[in-house]
Amino acid sequence: MTWLVWRQHRIQFLVGAALLAAFAVLIVITGVQVANQYHAAQMACAASHACRNQGGLFLGSHAVGFLIISTLGAPALVGLFVGAPMVAAEAEAGTTQFAWMQSVTRKRWLTVKIGWMLLAAAIWGGAISALVTWWEGPNNALQLDAFDPGRFDIMGVVPVAYSLFAVALGIAAGALLRRVLPAIAVTLAGFIAVRALIILLLRPHYMNAVTVFYKVTSGFTPPGSYWSLASGVVGPNGQQLAQPNNINYIDGVPASYLPAACTQVSRGAFTPPPSCTQALSHFRAFLTYQPADRYWTFQGIETGIFLALAAILIAVTAVALLRRDA
Amino acid sequence: MIPMHEVPGNALPGPAAIETTGLTKRYGKVTALSGCTVSVPEGRICALIGPNGAGKTTLLRLLAGLSRPTAGQVTVNGTTPRQDPAFLADIGFLAQEIPLYRRLSAEDHIRVGAHLNPRWDAESVRERLTGLKIPLDRAVGKLSGGQRAQVALALILAKQPRLLLLDEPVAALDPLARRNFLGLVADLERVCDHLIMLASSRVQLCGDLEELLAEHRILIGPRKDTTAIERSHRVVQINRTPRQTTLLVRLNGPVADPAFEASDVSLEELVLGYMGQDAPSEPAQLTTVGEEQ
Repeated sequence: MTWLVWRQHRIQFLVGAALLAAFAVLIVITGVQVANQYHAAQMACAASHACRNQGGLFLGSHAVGFLIISTLGAPALVGLFVGAPMVAAEAEAGTTQFAWMQSVTRKRWLTVKIGWMLLAAAIWGGAISALVTWWEGPNNALQLDAFDPGRFDIMGVVPVAYSLFAVALGIAAGALLRRVLPAIAVTLAGFIAVRALIILLLRPHYMNAVTVFYKVTSGFTPPGSYWSLASGVVGPNGQQLAQPNNINYIDGVPASYLPAACTQVSRGAFTPPPSCTQALSHFRAFLTYQPADRYWTFQGIETGIFLALAAILIAVTAVALLRRDA
Repeated sequence: MIPMHEVPGNALPGPAAIETTGLTKRYGKVTALSGCTVSVPEGRICALIGPNGAGKTTLLRLLAGLSRPTAGQVTVNGTTPRQDPAFLADIGFLAQEIPLYRRLSAEDHIRVGAHLNPRWDAESVRERLTGLKIPLDRAVGKLSGGQRAQVALALILAKQPRLLLLDEPVAALDPLARRNFLGLVADLERVCDHLIMLASSRVQLCGDLEELLAEHRILIGPRKDTTAIERSHRVVQINRTPRQTTLLVRLNGPVADPAFEASDVSLEELVLGYMGQDAPSEPAQLTTVGEEQ
């Protein structure tokens, strides 16, 4: 069976390997430059005692940065071009009838094929993620944004789970629809929909977020790469204040809530009059966030969810192909 | 009719290669096969014929284990068709669509078969295809339809199955290739010794071909009342012209009426008679049972 899988899919495997190799060469070469840049910047800022203000520094070229961000779509590729055609192309061409009339049970045929596809998907997702994670290491250290959606999703272990999910989704869609193009379309739509729903609805709540209230006149920044979910200002009654764009703010509080003295002060003097300080003390700022030390817990939970979804899809495929008539 | 094989007339029937009882297959509300009860002994070449949509492919797929019956029993080579390497090794099924991997060459297919089958006669495929001047190293998608059918057939034979199921085996072949098909003259009458006829998803006839032919007669007589004949024999078909009446009957004893002249029936007449007014359907499927492929 393995020989058949290789013979049938070797073009896909070789194209995938070539893309991966080209990506690796590019990332390793530019990644070494990024590491050197980072090292030099660290030396320079240490000498001038200005290491805190490097958030604006972007390392690496923008072209490579764009390529890095586009690896968000890499797991989908394996679902579209490896997963979706796996059963659908054979069903369309009728070649399942050839394979299933050899002395090989459908169960073994399916197990071996799915096994190799899942392995290929895991290698694909894992290799890309490892390269991206390494390349972005210095930027993560500078920007402290590894937890942000869009960056969380291309690093660590989640890309492996996304790839496995994508290929399983493609296989299941192909097994149910038995046509390549519809299977590809369903895989693409399903992958985007599931990823978006989980980012928007589930991921912020994997663990109860931490909310910190602080004086509007002081600042608060959690340590490390935390994930900010919400921030704002609450008034004296505890109600959150609307913060439209086109009005004046003093320390995040709309000027209309404050005595006129505050407005005048903010234009000129540095020390606000006591009446203004008194008024501001009734307002509190808050930040709702997921602390940086939950990063790997979140990676683990997200990985678990997508692995479970992949397992369900594989089960659906097995039922569709083994229980139904061939 | 020239029998190609010695068919033991009254000898004990061998073990059945195919045995079905009340086999029924429904797809939703559509009944593809209904109450099919047939039996084919080992060592036979059995033709399965019937008009389009009669349920021929359905029956073959049930026998091959590619689909499961809605009701009834099916036994092939002594067991129920199932997903088991030993069962599959004994079945050679060539589907109507001639399924092959279009981008793979015949040689690739030979290697696939070698990996997937316990018995595999790779040399026979090479010999067969070389003899037919079919290139072994060209992608089968680039071969002609007839060549593809030959490749598929050679691959099925390489499995050395005990039961060979061919669905529309000559549909893709040119007349010359038909003559060479299976190394036999693809003249149904001369190849097969057993017949199953389906129509409207039911079995119309099943049995040894010689016996079936012996049981049927064509009666030609004056245009007159035929109730007497209809009472004692089973009339399959009646054709009336102003001058005479032609009947195809399944005999139930000798024909008593001297006004009717009885003559032997040919296979074609038998088939067309049972198919009624349907357009003459090509003897569509050929089921070969046993070793003498």
